Amino acid sequence: MTAEVVRTLEETGTPARWRSPGARALRSLLRKKIACLAIVYLTIFYGAGLFAPLVVPALGLPSPYEQNRRTIEEVRAGPSREHPFGTDTLGRDMAARVIYSARTTVLFTIVVLITGGLFIGLGLGLLAGYRGGWVDTLIMRIGEVFSGLPTLFIMLALSAAFRTRIDDLIFWFKDNTFLGDDSRAIVQFLLIAMVTVPFAWIGSSRVVRAQTLSIRESGYVEAAELMGAGTWRVITRHVFPGVMPLFLVGLSGGMGGIAGSEVALSFLGLGISAPTASFGTMIGDGAGITAFRLYPHLLIAGALPVILFIFAWNLLGDALVDILQPKQHVS
Amino acid sequence: MGAGLTGYTIRRILWAVPVLFVISFVVFWILRLAPGDPVDALLGQRFDEERAANLRHKYGYDKPVVEQYVIYMRNLAQGDMGVSTRHVDFSVSEVIWPKIKVSSQLGAMALIIVFSLGIPIGIYAALARGTFLDPLTIGCWLLLDAIPAFVLAPVVGWLVALKLGWITLGWEGVWTDGPIFRPESNVIVYVLIMSLPGVAGVARFMRASFISVMDEDYVRTARAKGLKQSTIIITHITRNAMMPMITVIGLSLPAITAGALFVERAFGIPGIGAESLAAVTAPDFDVILGLVLFGSFLFVVANIVIDISYGFIDPRVKVGGQRG
Repeated sequence: MTAEVVRTLEETGTPARWRSPGARALRSLLRKKIACLAIVYLTIFYGAGLFAPLVVPALGLPSPYEQNRRTIEEVRAGPSREHPFGTDTLGRDMAARVIYSARTTVLFTIVVLITGGLFIGLGLGLLAGYRGGWVDTLIMRIGEVFSGLPTLFIMLALSAAFRTRIDDLIFWFKDNTFLGDDSRAIVQFLLIAMVTVPFAWIGSSRVVRAQTLSIRESGYVEAAELMGAGTWRVITRHVFPGVMPLFLVGLSGGMGGIAGSEVALSFLGLGISAPTASFGTMIGDGAGITAFRLYPHLLIAGALPVILFIFAWNLLGDALVDILQPKQHVS
Repeated sequence: MGAGLTGYTIRRILWAVPVLFVISFVVFWILRLAPGDPVDALLGQRFDEERAANLRHKYGYDKPVVEQYVIYMRNLAQGDMGVSTRHVDFSVSEVIWPKIKVSSQLGAMALIIVFSLGIPIGIYAALARGTFLDPLTIGCWLLLDAIPAFVLAPVVGWLVALKLGWITLGWEGVWTDGPIFRPESNVIVYVLIMSLPGVAGVARFMRASFISVMDEDYVRTARAKGLKQSTIIITHITRNAMMPMITVIGLSLPAITAGALFVERAFGIPGIGAESLAAVTAPDFDVILGLVLFGSFLFVVANIVIDISYGFIDPRVKVGGQRG
């Protein structure tokens, strides 16, 4: 009898178990069905992309880089049992190409995220907000110059300008490093990452700076400084945790755009080029009014996965805004 | 406010000058850095050293980069934007102004659609907060936002031109010649493709702004006074929620002239987007520079105008105060 009472008391009366703010945010995120769907899709996309060389044979699909056994009937064939998404203009399996394209997109978003978002965006934002003075002015003016440039246009100009020069670099890499035949894809990849990063940091560093400015004035930062904590310690232990939520919101909202810029550049023939798979080149094969009328699967199979990818990131960003900043302050 | 605002305006304009100089020099230098130059593109198969040298001398590409830049800037100050090499010996102004005219008309129409749809949708979503209609509305527009223009263009083109036969494919000018002054029907389709993906951003921003105003004390007061719901929404909330929208509207103004590269490419519209892609890949130095400078100039001006207009619209805003 008493044991039962104690148990009911424990179940009803005890206060909710204490959870860290991060765990609480994750719980309320999972309570949103749309956000859940987005997370599931992104997990599948990232998983398939990262492990493409394992996933493709596991699904029983032929590798897109093997073109030895092609017949004319296999070219631009519609979806069938053997090729669930159909085949492309060279008779390669579209489903396998989609998975390998996901690999390109996934790697690209991760590289730009780490360099542009994390190091430059977060780092410069923290630095500008915490140090203030001329450091702040300089960083923000540089940001102003970059955001003043017409982004896509400059990315076009840069990638077109360096494109002719990188051939030498590709051959050098091929002859002198272990990369071999992969060097072409890697150098092209680095080039588009290089032209995307200068535009990827501004948004997040502005958000981080604004938040840092307000945290810097708070009592606990002053207390830490009075106790003799160094700049590094104050930034990492006291400022950074407060900045993190807003930074995540900005980041997840920007990921779709980052992925989109790779697709756009590759579509125009200035990014990743064949034979390396990319959604941009795949869409380029099917994007034409006549091409779409005759072979709709070329465009749909190439475009739909990446549209959903961008959509999922946008939805996730939207859900995070609601959770991490319930009363949003519009600047 | 008077003296402070004037001083602030002057400071901002003075800042804009070095910003534009830096942009122009960086672009100028990057273009010269690349190995392929317009002369290679012009001669192509007929390349021989003597003709190349002659052409380089003619366009001044044989001089040091800094000297070329000084010459370019001196000419620019006199209103001469240089010559195009791709459109042989046409001046840059002759090449870009007609295209800017086309692009800016389409862009202005697109912008009007974006804001006249985005603002009501944002208000609707904010009022529906807490129900499933809010995420559903925003979600639908976010899906449109995720579709790249180069995917949407062929699909819509196939649907309305080939399947339904509503429009013809081909450029027939912006306005109809007919008795009623209206845009060509295919222009309407192009403008819709350009504008619909942008609605989500405006709607989201308007929603956030509307929600933050909705919780203000004066809104509660208005409600307690027994004002009609429609009066509260229109005069109390929307008017105040529009304040931050000024920034968004201002920042999208330069996009009007930037041209919609992918839509222009897909439908053969003679605008800035298609021209800039061609100029970049050719390459055509002076046209690229002209376009970049024009775009950056508009952006910088729009930024200054937004900041200053805040001071006029909302007297509480102190421009040039502690903003770092």
